[in-house]
Amino acid sequence: MLIGISLISFFIMHLAPGDITNNEAAFNPKASEESRQKLRELYHLDKPVIVQYGLWLKRMVQLDFGNSFKPHQKPVFWQTTDKDGNVTKGMIQEALPITLMINILGLIITLSLAIPLGILAARKYQGWQDRSITLFNFIGFSIPGFWLSLLLMYWLGVVNNWLPISGLHSLNYENLSTWGKFTDSLSHLIMPVLIPSVTGLAGITLFVKNGMLDVLNQDYITTARAKGLNEHKVIYTHALRNALLPLITIIGLSIPGLIGGSVIAETIFAIDGMGKLFFDSVTSRDFPVIMGILTIGSALTLVGNLVADIAYAWADPRVRRGVMRG
Amino acid sequence: MLTKLPPVKLKQPPSHFEKMWGFGFIIFATLLLSACDKQNAAPRIDYNRSYPSVDGGVMISAMTGEPSSLIYMVAGESASAAIASNIFNSLLRYDQNLDLTGELAESWQISDDQKSITFKLKPNLKWSDGKPLTSDDVLFTWQLVTDEKTHSPYASDYQLVKKAETPDSLTFKVTYDQAYAPALDSWSGLQILPKHLLAGQDVHTTNFARQPVGSNYYQLDSWTHGENIKLSRNPSSVLGPANIEQLVTRIIPDNSAQFLELMADNIDSMGLDPIKYSRIIPARPELLEKLNLYKELGNSYTYMGFNLKHKPFDDARVRKAINYAIDKQEIIDGVYLGLGINIASPYKPGTRWSNPDLQPYPYDPNKAKVLLKQAGFVCCNNHGILMRDGKPFAFEIVTNQNKEREKSAVLIQRRLKEIGIDVKIRAVEWASFISRFIKTGDFDVVVLGWGLGLDPDQYNIWHSSQQAPGQFNFIGYNNPTVDKLLEQGRTELNPDKRQKIYHEFAKVLLEDSPIVYLSAGYGLTAMHKRIQGIVDPIPPAGVGYDSQKWYIPQPLRRNEISAN
Amino acid sequence: MNNTLFKKALSNPLAKAGFIIILIVFLLAMLAPLIAPYDPDEINVKAILLEPSMQHWMGTDGLGRDVLSRMLYGGQISLLVGLVAVGISTAIGIVLGALSGYYRGWVDTFIMRLVDVMLSIPSFFLILAVIAFLEPSIINIMIVIGLTSWMGVTRLVRAEFLSLSEREFVQASRTLGAKDARLIFTHLLPNSLTPIIVSSVLGVASAVLMESGLSFLGLGVQAPQASWGNILTDGKEYIQFAWWLSLYPGMAILITVLGYNLLGEGLRDALDPRSGSSK
Repeated sequence: MLIGISLISFFIMHLAPGDITNNEAAFNPKASEESRQKLRELYHLDKPVIVQYGLWLKRMVQLDFGNSFKPHQKPVFWQTTDKDGNVTKGMIQEALPITLMINILGLIITLSLAIPLGILAARKYQGWQDRSITLFNFIGFSIPGFWLSLLLMYWLGVVNNWLPISGLHSLNYENLSTWGKFTDSLSHLIMPVLIPSVTGLAGITLFVKNGMLDVLNQDYITTARAKGLNEHKVIYTHALRNALLPLITIIGLSIPGLIGGSVIAETIFAIDGMGKLFFDSVTSRDFPVIMGILTIGSALTLVGNLVADIAYAWADPRVRRGVMRG
Repeated sequence: MLTKLPPVKLKQPPSHFEKMWGFGFIIFATLLLSACDKQNAAPRIDYNRSYPSVDGGVMISAMTGEPSSLIYMVAGESASAAIASNIFNSLLRYDQNLDLTGELAESWQISDDQKSITFKLKPNLKWSDGKPLTSDDVLFTWQLVTDEKTHSPYASDYQLVKKAETPDSLTFKVTYDQAYAPALDSWSGLQILPKHLLAGQDVHTTNFARQPVGSNYYQLDSWTHGENIKLSRNPSSVLGPANIEQLVTRIIPDNSAQFLELMADNIDSMGLDPIKYSRIIPARPELLEKLNLYKELGNSYTYMGFNLKHKPFDDARVRKAINYAIDKQEIIDGVYLGLGINIASPYKPGTRWSNPDLQPYPYDPNKAKVLLKQAGFVCCNNHGILMRDGKPFAFEIVTNQNKEREKSAVLIQRRLKEIGIDVKIRAVEWASFISRFIKTGDFDVVVLGWGLGLDPDQYNIWHSSQQAPGQFNFIGYNNPTVDKLLEQGRTELNPDKRQKIYHEFAKVLLEDSPIVYLSAGYGLTAMHKRIQGIVDPIPPAGVGYDSQKWYIPQPLRRNEISAN
Repeated sequence: MNNTLFKKALSNPLAKAGFIIILIVFLLAMLAPLIAPYDPDEINVKAILLEPSMQHWMGTDGLGRDVLSRMLYGGQISLLVGLVAVGISTAIGIVLGALSGYYRGWVDTFIMRLVDVMLSIPSFFLILAVIAFLEPSIINIMIVIGLTSWMGVTRLVRAEFLSLSEREFVQASRTLGAKDARLIFTHLLPNSLTPIIVSSVLGVASAVLMESGLSFLGLGVQAPQASWGNILTDGKEYIQFAWWLSLYPGMAILITVLGYNLLGEGLRDALDPRSGSSK
C-alpha cells in the first residue's frame, strides 16, 4: 500500500518538466542564470532518479518530507525547532486542521440533512416530497460549485451584506468577545461549508433512501410489524440502524474526494487549507509539499477507512460477534 | 409499472427524529441570523468631500499570493516587495519625477575615474527597535546579497562590486572594476537589513523573515498565515511619520472574489483589468460614488517575439511582414479598450530613454504581402495559406494564461490568416510555459510582456551573450551593433550620451523587428474615496508615490474596525 | 434483448427525462455548424460585451464573439471530454475488473491493491498535478480524468464476474470446456453490462463537472478553443455585470450534468432490482 502510494507520488513528481526555479523571480530581468544554478544544487535535483526514490521512500516512512522549495524553506509536514528555540510550524500542520474542520462540519451538516431527507423520501416514496427532494438533490449535485459560490457570494455578500465574502476571520477578530468570535467564525464558515455540502447531499440522501427502501422490504421488518411493534419503533430502531450501517463505509471512502474537492472552495473563499496549499505548490513546482500532501492525504484516507471499519464493527452486531458478512 | 412501491404507506405525526431535526434546524437558523446581524443601514456618507489631512485610520488592500519571506532579496516575489517596501529603506530612491534622490543616504559621490561611489548616510538613523542604523548594516546587506548561500536572484548587480568598505559609521564606499552605469539604480533596489538581528542567521529560515525589523514608515504588527498581514506606523521612522495608522493586506487568491470584496467595501484598493475599469465600474453609479479610478502608464509592454533561430523568422523581411500585418491599434482598442499605447521602442513612452523620432509599424497588409513574396512565399495552397519550398506557412503562438495576451493572440491569428499565414494558439500555465518553451527554446512565436526597471540598461534581454537556457534573450537575438551599443550604455555615466546610445539602440531594434511591440499598457487601480491626499495629477513616479501622506478623514473611516 | 432493455430503462420517468435532456443537448451541439448564427471565432472588437439581443441571443464576449455560437461549439468539446474520459475509464475498468474477477489469485490481489492505492489518493489532486505538469490540452484532460476514475468500474465488473461465475450456466459452459475468452465475452460481460452502463453514465456527469472545475483553476480546455468550462470561467470575473457570460454556460453545464445524473439514477432504478448501492 505505502509502496504504491510512494511510487505514484514519485512518478507524479518526475512528470514535471519544470523545476523549482520557475518561480516569479526566474523571469525578472535582473535574475541571472548563475543564481538559478545555485538553487538547483541546493535542492539536489541533480541526483540520479533511483537515489532520489530511495531517499524519498525512506523519508516517507519517517514522515519526513523535508523543507519547502519556496524561499522560506518551511518544514513541509511538522514543526521544527531551531537551536535558538524558535519554532517553525509545518505547512501541512497549519493547513490540515482548517481543511479537516471545514470538511467535518460539512459532513455533519450533510448527514444531518441527508438522513432525515432520505428517510422522508423513502417514507413518501414516489410522493411529491420524494420527488422534490430528488430534484433538489440532483440540481445541487449538477451545478458547478464555483459558479454557485460566486453567485451566492455576490448575493449574500455584496447585494445584501449578510455574510462575509471570503476569509475565515474578520480583521478585528482579535478584539471581539468570545461570543463575537464565535459568530464571526460561524458567519465566515457558512458559505465555504454549506456550498460544497450541497454536492455531497445528493449522494448520501439517495443512499439513505435506497437503503431504507431495501431494509423496509426485508423479512425481519415485516416480522417486526407483524409482532405489532409500532411503526415508529420499527423505523427508528430496526430499519434505520441497518440502513445506515453501510453509510459508515461510504463516509470513509469519501475522504479523498472531500480533500481533493477543497481546492476550488478554498481558492474562491480565500481559505488557507490543504487544497489551496496543494494548488499553490503545483503552480510553483514545490515538490516536497506536493509529495507531502499526496502522501498525507492518502494516509488520511487509510486512517479514515480503518476508523470506518472499526465503527462498522462496533455498530453491526453480526460483525461484533465475529460473524463475517458477505 | 416497473418502479417499485414501498411495502407500506405510513401516515404518522412527525416522528421523534424529525422533530429533533427540526429543532436543530431552528438553532442553526438562529445562529445564522445572529451571525448576519450587522449594522446594515450605515448613515449615508458623502465621499466626495475633501477633508484636511489627519492621523489614524486603517487602509485595507488585497493581494492574490502570500509572500514567502519579507526579506525581498531572498523571496524575489511581487507580494514580498509590496509589503517589504513599507518596512525597509534603501540607500537611494526615485523622487516623483523619477530622478534619484537619497533615502538612507544623505548624499553620494562618484569618483573621478567613475569606478567608485561613496554614500554618506543621514545622521542618527534608527531601526524600529531603537538600535542605530549605520554603514555597517549597509555593508552587511551587501555581503548578504552576494553571499553564495543566500541564492539571491538579484545578486548579479552587486557581485560586480569589487570592494565595499566603511571608512566610518556614516560612510559606505563601493568600487567597481569599470564604470557601471546601472549601479545607482541597483542601490535604490537593495533594501538595507539590520546586522544586529541577522548576523549569523540562515537568511532563508530565520524568524526575521516573518518578524522583520526595519526603518521605514511602517513595522509589522501581525501576520496571520493565509489571511492577512497588518502593518502599523513605525514611530521612529527614519523618514518621519506616516498618516495612516495601519495598513492591512488581505490575501485573497481569486480575482473575482477580490472584486466582490471591493464592491462590498471590504477592501480599499485593487488593481483592475480594462473591462472592470472602463465598463463595469462606470456602469454602476453606486461604485463610482465611492471609488476613484486611476490609470498610469506602466513601465512595461506586451510584445510578440519570434524565435530567431527557427526558419523563417531568421529572415528580417518575414518579421517585418508580420509586423505590418498586425493591427496594433485594433489590439489596443479591442483588448485594452483603448487603455494602451502603440510603441516603437522598448521604453516607457514620454521618458528620456524613449526615442520620440521612431514610428511604430503601421497596419499595412499589402506591404506585408510584398515582403513575404520577396522572402520566397507564394500564394497559395487550397486553404489559402502561403507556401515556400512546398511547405505551408504555419506556426504556433505560445502564451501564458493571461487574458489580455490570449485575446491579443486571437486578434493576431485573424489578421495573419488574412494574409495567408496559418496560426495556432497555445496558452500554457506559467511554470510549464517557462520550462517547456522558454528554457528549451522550443517555440516559434511567443506573446509575452516585459516589465522593466527604471534604468535603461537592457543587456540581459538583448545582448547575444545572454542566450543560455533560462536567460532572458531566449528569442536568440544576435546583432553585433546592438551588442556594442548595450556594452557602451552600461559604462557610460553621462545621461545625455547614454540617451543617445539607447535611442540608437531602439532604432536598430525597430528596423530589425525581432519582436512586434503590441502595446504599452496602463496600470489601472481603483481606490476608495476615503483614501485622500493622493498626489493629483499622478506624478511620473506613479499613483503610489508619497503614500505616507495619504490620510483617511475621520468621518469616512469604517466603523467596525478600530486600529486600537 | 437490447431493445427490451432500452424500453425497460425508459419506462422510468427519471431516466426518460434524463435521456431527453441529453438527446437535446447532443443534437444542439452536433448541429452547431448548421444552427450557430455566427462563426464562434469571429471577432468583432466593435461589439464587445453586448447584452443579449435579437442579433446575439446570448450576447457577446470580451472579443465581441457571439456567445450562443461559442456555447454550441463549446458544447461539442465539453460533451466530448466527458464521453472520451469515461470511455477510457470504462475500458480500463472492464479489462482490469474482468482479469481480476475471472482469474482471481495473485492477479486479483494485485489489481485490488492497485485499486486501493488509487482510491486512497485524493484523485482531484492527482488530476491537478498531472495536468499542470503535462499541459492542459483537451487530449491530456480526457486521458488524465480517464486514468484516475476507473476504480469504481473495476470493482463493479469484478463483483459481477465473481457472482456470475458461481451461476449454473457459467459453471455448465466451463465444464463443457468453453475457452476463457469465449466465456468472458459471451456470458460474463453481457450479463454485467447493466451496472457498467449506469456507472458510466454517472461518470460522464462528473467528468463534465470536473472539466469546468479545472477551467476555474486555469487548467481546463485552453482558449481560444471554447468549452463550457472556460466560457464560464471567463465570465466569472464579470458575474455582476456581464451576467450572460456566466449564466448560460453555467446553466448548460447544470442541465447537461443533471441529464446524465437523472439518466444514470433512473437506469439504476429501472434495471437493477437490487439498487441501493451508491456511487
